[in-house]
Amino acid sequence: MKKKLKHLVVLVDTNVHSMSDLALLVIWSLIVGIPFVSFHDITGQLKKNEEDLFMEIERRKKGVPGCIKWSNKPDLNGYTNGTQAHTVYINIFSESDGRLKIAQCIKLIAKEHLQSNRCSEEYTAQEFSETLMHLYPSIPDPELVLYTGPLCSTFGLLPWHIRLSEFIQLSVNHNININSYLGALYKYNKCDQRFGK
Amino acid sequence: MDGNRRYAKKLSVDSTEGHNKGFDKLSEVLKWCLDLGIPEVTVYAFSIENFKRNQEEVDALMELASDKFKRLLDEIDQINEWGVRVQVAGRLSLLPVELQALVSKSMLATRQNNKLQLNIAYSYTGRDEISRAASYIIDGVKNEELKADDIDEQLISQTLDLREPELLVRTSGEVRLSDFMLWQISKTVLYFTDVLWPEFTIWNLLAAIIHFQRHAPAVLQENENTPAQQDFMEKFESRKWQKLEKIVGC
Repeated sequence: MKKKLKHLVVLVDTNVHSMSDLALLVIWSLIVGIPFVSFHDITGQLKKNEEDLFMEIERRKKGVPGCIKWSNKPDLNGYTNGTQAHTVYINIFSESDGRLKIAQCIKLIAKEHLQSNRCSEEYTAQEFSETLMHLYPSIPDPELVLYTGPLCSTFGLLPWHIRLSEFIQLSVNHNININSYLGALYKYNKCDQRFGK
Repeated sequence: MDGNRRYAKKLSVDSTEGHNKGFDKLSEVLKWCLDLGIPEVTVYAFSIENFKRNQEEVDALMELASDKFKRLLDEIDQINEWGVRVQVAGRLSLLPVELQALVSKSMLATRQNNKLQLNIAYSYTGRDEISRAASYIIDGVKNEELKADDIDEQLISQTLDLREPELLVRTSGEVRLSDFMLWQISKTVLYFTDVLWPEFTIWNLLAAIIHFQRHAPAVLQENENTPAQQDFMEKFESRKWQKLEKIVGC
């Protein structure tokens, strides 16, 4: 891959995607070498069934070198067989990690429970960002967001983090397979970023 | 409005020519929206990141904007007859002083119109917009116009420059937001199309609308402001207009 891909987000609709679909996405990302894979839980059912996802990933991982780490679980598993193996960090986000968290941040600053720097009348994006980041785990902004089906929407995914994320559809027919996954990565690789210039 | 420079390159003309064509397309698209009964249109004309382009191009774009706002003010009777309300969203203090005055004048002059609202994001990014809103709200608490516990998502939405859109169209094959309306688009249908902005036709617009109508999620009802929030919003609004009057005055 020509373009770095550190953080991949998948928009998850539990009515459409099975645990095995999601587990496969993690395993493929482990092999490709994407260090952060996050699931955005549209329906709110994934967070409730996190344990099932955990078990399914453990089951699928058998025989694949590398480590899988959960943001909210102690480290386990992972062997490298002496070769350089990859690590994937998994996070599950939902709507409440988005706008609600920014609102909380503003409230905490207003209550003076959170320190912030403001050099002029209005915060710059840089200044506000430094304070807001205290409320989030330290992970890079997602470069790629995958969705399935005909509707592309952020569903409230991390508004602060997605300004430069590419939104790419993962196969038209809800069916997640290795070809649709690699096809999406290929498309991402072709996207050209100009950073305002 | 993406693809002006690629369009210019394709036709082997100057990038300024591409930006001019892009502006002409804007008035055309607005006319279509008015005819279709769409009451509010927002365009992303210039990002804070765009200041990083070479000085020549930035200057040309500032001049283009000044020219267009002057023309808008010259033809203010016509604009008022159509009922177009012009709002500029962004950090105005980064613009040349002359342009700041023209922008403020245009906003004040069309303030009462209500047939079509045109929002122009200029010197704008979504993160910057959220940061400015955070400043106003925190100051509101400091000045005891608001209690910290009155702060919620809805209040933030109302202190931003731009309101939530139902549909967002991005031209020229880019599939990212580029720091546009980050807060507002949490339920918006995102429509990405390969066509370059100067080549955008009414068929492209209709295709986007049909896509939206097929796939749009259900709309949720918003709650009403609490009296405390309403109080703050009224003060916030009047301060906003006073600030613009001050820019025009000096």
